[in-house]
Amino acid sequence: MARHALGRLLHLVLVLWVVASLTFVMFRLMPGDPTLNFLSPTFSEETRAALLKSFGLDKSLWQQYIIYMGNLLRGELGMSFLQGRSVVAILLDALPNTLLLTVVSLTIAYAFGVVAGAFLAFRRGSVVEAAAIPAALATRAAPEFWLGMLVLAGLAFQAGWFPTGGALSPGREIDNFADRVISGDFWWHLALPALTLTLYLQGLPLLLMRATMLEVLNDEFIVMARMKGLSRWAIVMRHAARNALLPVVTAFALGLGASVGGNVVVETVFAWPGIGRVLVQAVQSADYPLAQGAFLLIAFVLVTMNTVADLVYAALDPRVAVGARR
Amino acid sequence: MKRWLLAVGMTAFSAIPALAQPAGDPVRPLVLLAQPQAAAPQDFQAAEMVAEAWKQLGLQVQVRPLPSQQFNQVVWYERQRWDATTWQMVGRPERSDPDELTYNLYVSANIANGYDFVGYNNPEYDRLAKAQREELDVNKRRALIIQAQELINRDQPQGFMVHPKNLVAFNASVWDESSMVSQAGIGVRSFWTWIALKPKGAQKDVILNSTSSPTNLSPFNIPGAQGSWATELVWDRFMRIGPDGLPRPWAAETVTRPTATTVELTLRSGMKWHNGTPVTIDDAVFSLEAPGYGDKSPMYRPFVANIAKVETTGPMSLRITLKRPDAAFLVSSLSKLNLAPQKIWAPIFEGLKNKPETAETIMEKLPIGSGPFRFVSVNLNEQIVLEANPDHWAKPNIRRWIMRISPNIEATMGALKSGEINFLSDYTGDPALLADLAKSNPNIKVAEALDIGFKYIAYNERRTPFNDVAFRRALSAAMDREALASDAFGGAAVPANSWISPALGFWADPGIDKRVPGGTVEAAKKILKDAGYVLINGRLHYPPGVKETTPVYQ
Repeated sequence: MARHALGRLLHLVLVLWVVASLTFVMFRLMPGDPTLNFLSPTFSEETRAALLKSFGLDKSLWQQYIIYMGNLLRGELGMSFLQGRSVVAILLDALPNTLLLTVVSLTIAYAFGVVAGAFLAFRRGSVVEAAAIPAALATRAAPEFWLGMLVLAGLAFQAGWFPTGGALSPGREIDNFADRVISGDFWWHLALPALTLTLYLQGLPLLLMRATMLEVLNDEFIVMARMKGLSRWAIVMRHAARNALLPVVTAFALGLGASVGGNVVVETVFAWPGIGRVLVQAVQSADYPLAQGAFLLIAFVLVTMNTVADLVYAALDPRVAVGARR
Repeated sequence: MKRWLLAVGMTAFSAIPALAQPAGDPVRPLVLLAQPQAAAPQDFQAAEMVAEAWKQLGLQVQVRPLPSQQFNQVVWYERQRWDATTWQMVGRPERSDPDELTYNLYVSANIANGYDFVGYNNPEYDRLAKAQREELDVNKRRALIIQAQELINRDQPQGFMVHPKNLVAFNASVWDESSMVSQAGIGVRSFWTWIALKPKGAQKDVILNSTSSPTNLSPFNIPGAQGSWATELVWDRFMRIGPDGLPRPWAAETVTRPTATTVELTLRSGMKWHNGTPVTIDDAVFSLEAPGYGDKSPMYRPFVANIAKVETTGPMSLRITLKRPDAAFLVSSLSKLNLAPQKIWAPIFEGLKNKPETAETIMEKLPIGSGPFRFVSVNLNEQIVLEANPDHWAKPNIRRWIMRISPNIEATMGALKSGEINFLSDYTGDPALLADLAKSNPNIKVAEALDIGFKYIAYNERRTPFNDVAFRRALSAAMDREALASDAFGGAAVPANSWISPALGFWADPGIDKRVPGGTVEAAKKILKDAGYVLINGRLHYPPGVKETTPVYQ
């Protein structure tokens, strides 16, 4: 087990190194450089040279790479070209917002998905199932921006129950994230992006739970439970559902990792100040250090959650670790 | 009979030279670069309309969208490669003086690396541009600017499309409309509005929007259009561009020009930095000199490049000696440079010595200025909050100035409707949607103002056939500017044929938009025919003997 864990951790480091190198090369191979943000009638070659020097882009690619990797090993991601702040500080400002949005949405989506999936498996062939499955598929397939705009149009523009965007009301400033979390204003602003993301995310756990439940409900131990005379509800919730949960739990861990980087659209629609918006802005303006840092953070969360899922799986089912040794 | 045969024979013989001179090569397929439709829908639509017009001349034209970074890279750094491109100059208060664009856009010294990226080279124009820069008599200078516009109209180095209109909207139940100040070429979203705006009721915070995040806010950085709205409120300048578009003393009480190369100014007394310390004449000297220190302020350095010497002449007065006469100095330098506190910034500049970083990348946690507003908080991804500076001589009537940053313009319109914002300052959507919003909400008022900027098609004069003035004139003539303004730009624009907007009434050449050479597709065809271009099977060919030597853009 310890060897398996060590192997997974080495794998994690290797993947992160590849991601770090790829993001480094990717931005430098893209046409243009950050100085193109500053083009103006008074822009000269002298200006460009000074800016490139200031950004460290006057050095050779290898020199830049060595500096970048050296900084990375010390936990430094450099300074944003355009915001004049350290990349770590910018990301640390945005990450809690993204994590909270993700965790809240995923938790509600999976809680709903698990219960609804189990219920639909239980009511297989019913009218409820015939209506619910297409609805779940539709929300899963609908583009996030469209879903977001519908939610905005209905609950913010028409009903006026929720704000149209941002994390706090205009002029309200709460620097400390812990203070934000206990602020009602923050949760009021979180409601619509979280609802949109929940609607988008609930399809997977619902369908996964239903499919696994249908499989489990045909297992011999369920027949045995029926033979023992247990109630249908007890069979579904105590026996079948618990056994069907494992793939859903794995999907949750992976979903958490994927959502950190995948909230770009929802964060843009609702002006939610998270990692997704930082990433879009950094890529648009060729702010290499910030974009690299954001990609690396997303990769780190994704790969870490994969590794966690892997390790949890190995702990729950020792055959996984044994299989890895073979 | 013999005579008749002889006549026929001679006629046939005389026709031989014409037959011996067939048309030149067909003009290669041309590529018109544009930003993608998703990024700039109006510009893309305009490019499509222009391409259709050019096709009527017998040209094969393709509109090629490129992502923003690649678009800028190709146009700016690969100057031999492209044929034609959409481009724009945005309006800024300091462009109220025509010098910046007059000099940089068309003077041949800027062909290699500067803003004359179309490669326009005309010694006569160079002379006019230089002369206007050195002419301090405003009427004589105007005459030179008019001559320069006529010359560009004749040569058509680029096809001007439109001058856009700025559209803003505000909640008239919150703000007293009569207290808003429209600045020439900017409109009511102006510095002057923010200090004069009067609330009607209890709401004293102006809440406006920005569709993009500004870059770092520092007195030595140009933080993009929206960031500038905040920085011009926080940092005072020696002069400011007034509502009339002309420079007027601001932090300087008086500004005089005793000779062509000297400027004397007296600093307003009693000014204080936001931390309570007084603004001194040393701060003023520092603010004029600091951008010139080494390469530590590359964006601001051009604005002090003409300063030879700054010396104090009294406790609150100083003299600036210029290297050469500069008619636009009051606008391009004194209305542009921010007054920065020496005590804070001198050590920063000192610390930057022998380091690659510049002062532009430094941002204080809460930057200190002396302007009518001061920072309360800055979160570049969420909002910027300023509050009125009660110690300022031009103390604003509003309590706070809050800029919300949201890339979703539809959501922002909803926010205006619901009252979350009360001033829509950055609108990039369809003008008709805004008009509909105002129609259905009596409290929402739309204000429009003609912009100083312009949108145009740049012709690359390094490449055939754009090096032929007749060809360029024909391309410009074929563009229907009225249709571009009404259809592509939704009516929020007026036809253009100069880099000087009619918003700058004093400098504009009246009616120049009606004097495009030719002016119609039919006239464009005639220009081409007169210049020897030939239409064969609907395809335009070069004049006889001319070979196509330029490769197709890839």
